[in-house]
Amino acid sequence: MHAIELRNLTKRFDKVEAVRGVDLTIPHGQICGYLGPNGAGKTTTVKMAVGMLAPTEGTALIEGIDVAERPVEAKSHIGFVPETGALYENLTPREYLALIGNLYHLEPELAAGRADRFLSHFGIADSADRLMTSFSRGMRQKVLISAALIHNPDILFLDEPLAGLDANTALVLKELLRDLASRGKTIFYCSHILEVVERICDRVVIINDGEIVADGAVEELKDLTHQASLEDAFTDLTSTVDVDSIVRALSDNVTGGSPAPGGGGDS
Amino acid sequence: MSPDGPGPTGRGVDVRQLRALITAGVRLDMRSARRRRRSRLGMPPMISMLVTYLVIGSFLAISLWRTNDPFTFALLTLSAAMFMTAVTVIMEYSSVVVNPDDHDILGHRPVSSRTYFWAKIANLFFYVGSTALSLSLPASIAIGMRFGGGVPLAVTYALLALIGCISAAAVVVLIYSTAIRVFDSQRFSSAITYVHTVATLVLTFGYVLVPRMLMREGVVLEISQGRWMWFAPPAWYAGAVELAAGTPGTHNIVFTTMALGSAAAVIAMALSLVSLDYSRRIAELAATSPDVASDEHGNRVSTRFGLIGRSLCRTDEERAGYDLMGRYMHRDRKLRMRIYPAFGLPLAVYLFGVLTRSFADPFGPRPMEQGFPIQELLGFYCVFITLFFATAMTQSDQWKASWIFHAAPVRDRVGIIVGARKLVIWRYIFPFFAVLLVLLSFVIPPVSAAVYLFLTLLLSLLAFSLLSLASPYLPLSQSVEKTRQARQLGLVMLLGVAMGALVAIRETIREAPLPGMIAVVLLAFLAMLSEVALRKRLKVRLAREEFAG
Repeated sequence: MHAIELRNLTKRFDKVEAVRGVDLTIPHGQICGYLGPNGAGKTTTVKMAVGMLAPTEGTALIEGIDVAERPVEAKSHIGFVPETGALYENLTPREYLALIGNLYHLEPELAAGRADRFLSHFGIADSADRLMTSFSRGMRQKVLISAALIHNPDILFLDEPLAGLDANTALVLKELLRDLASRGKTIFYCSHILEVVERICDRVVIINDGEIVADGAVEELKDLTHQASLEDAFTDLTSTVDVDSIVRALSDNVTGGSPAPGGGGDS
Repeated sequence: MSPDGPGPTGRGVDVRQLRALITAGVRLDMRSARRRRRSRLGMPPMISMLVTYLVIGSFLAISLWRTNDPFTFALLTLSAAMFMTAVTVIMEYSSVVVNPDDHDILGHRPVSSRTYFWAKIANLFFYVGSTALSLSLPASIAIGMRFGGGVPLAVTYALLALIGCISAAAVVVLIYSTAIRVFDSQRFSSAITYVHTVATLVLTFGYVLVPRMLMREGVVLEISQGRWMWFAPPAWYAGAVELAAGTPGTHNIVFTTMALGSAAAVIAMALSLVSLDYSRRIAELAATSPDVASDEHGNRVSTRFGLIGRSLCRTDEERAGYDLMGRYMHRDRKLRMRIYPAFGLPLAVYLFGVLTRSFADPFGPRPMEQGFPIQELLGFYCVFITLFFATAMTQSDQWKASWIFHAAPVRDRVGIIVGARKLVIWRYIFPFFAVLLVLLSFVIPPVSAAVYLFLTLLLSLLAFSLLSLASPYLPLSQSVEKTRQARQLGLVMLLGVAMGALVAIRETIREAPLPGMIAVVLLAFLAMLSEVALRKRLKVRLAREEFAG
């Protein structure tokens, strides 16, 4: 049994096919990077896998459990950090994490202890009893990550988890993910940041226009595309435009096309 | 199963999850909004709303103290309470009934649909129950004292008011939940604002106009003649109150049965429709992109029509505000959902006036019929529309985008608000009054209709300025806060007394046209003066405002 198994996963919104026949199996303990340009279908895939969106076709299995048929059971194995950063802002972090602990039936003392330690390690213990309305994006992200981990899930889905985090916390999170994977946790990591994916992921899946276009270890993708870096391999697989010409056109759009030695913008 | 807990069962209601969700829901209800911790009265917004409703309830109870019988008293107070509750739920539907954020936050958690459903129901009952009790508490005390029923009658009245208000909320839930299931999301998203308007229209009929009709025809004294009351839910509850007050009779027993039976049926049907799946549908609805073809069509229409209005803008900032507001009114269905119900109110009054032949020339030689001032009610609801605009136009889910007004080198931020207000007046208020003029011309002399509507328009513009003074924010720059519109609805209901000005000026014109016209000119001057005061106040207010996103 695999940790995650996606079979012919497809999602159509009206006339737009956001995800087309995605087949993917991820074994336990693997960190799988899921890459793709904007609008490629990454977040839609994740939302179907965690049971937030119903697939138009296909099935998503978590620990062998069909998410559509037994959602509560499947979801109890999952921790998810959504890209939207949605949380109940009119609660304090402590209250929010207590709520999440209750939803997963953690003992209140266990949940409270874990919540305090998460907030302390992430450096926001002083704000534990403040409403999250005034929190920065980074502080909210720390609460979201804590909420995804507090119940010790088997599988983590992370959609742009580094958004808003400072460099030190980002480093901590990257190392944490490696450590969790070494302890058997499975991690599905969606991101645009290729450097991070290259560094921490055992395997990289690239999606473009709703379809998987490459799947393998970083070195395999480089060999496949005959490129020296993951960045170049990614561009080779997903981009249809010439980067240099686009840069020139954008720059001309900003400056009006004329070189302006000495600088200065339009007044 | 999660390694660190026994885990949810997946079937039935999970009591522990339910308790946690209800607690969180109540906390969220009772806490202040994103930007200001406290309302201007120094209390959390929900408490402030409940106090406002308590004042309205007291006002109603005192003004109806001299009523002769418990049926009439209950009919009028309950119709007000049920109407206010239903309109509150309509205006705050997306936050009161189902919040699309729930899906983002809870959609991936192991919460069964049934658990979520009961948690939302508990929160809905808490919210509606609190507002219902605030509105009806003074009336329940009054009815117990006035009609000799004491505490038992007061408690029975309060319970019936609670059931009635929850039923009114359930009607709204039922209408929307059914609509979202019947239509696909694309069609529903196009129709939602009109569903809102129709819902308001229906509720205005059921909860306000029909009870007034009963009063006018005097059928409360001769119930056997009252054909209207079979269509007025507050009359059923009033019958139950009269029964509790010790007046038996077949009609009261039938009314009580109808009240309780309909409440059970409506609540049961509405409850069966709310679920996490419903929340998902709402979330998908929000994500559904508008139909491109119809959007382009809308743009062409708005461009042709808007050119004249846009030419009224004197600065770039005004034009920016005009364009921004115009595009959001066209594309943001949530914004329209908060505003369009207001149009249902005067339209309901008009239809009702036509059906019951209640319209009379307001400036004609014969005095108006006693007891049912349909013109004044129409005028009041016309002014009401500006309230919806004044409050809703400052709110948006994308309120954080207003950073641009603070970061960009904008010379005159007041101009952005003025431009947005011009859009509202030109594109919505003027056309609406033009339509009303045509409609009214069928039932009263066109000249009288024109004068009367001009008078109402001036009052509306004056109210628009005053309400904007009370809500001095850049367009779409405030978060959509639960209870905000309900509080402002309550305040406007209290301000309804000021509509005496409309009656006074109309009467003056009828009795002595020259002084009456002078009063109209003075009113116009006052409206212009309020606009100048608004600009000055906004200038001071916006100079202090910081972006808190």
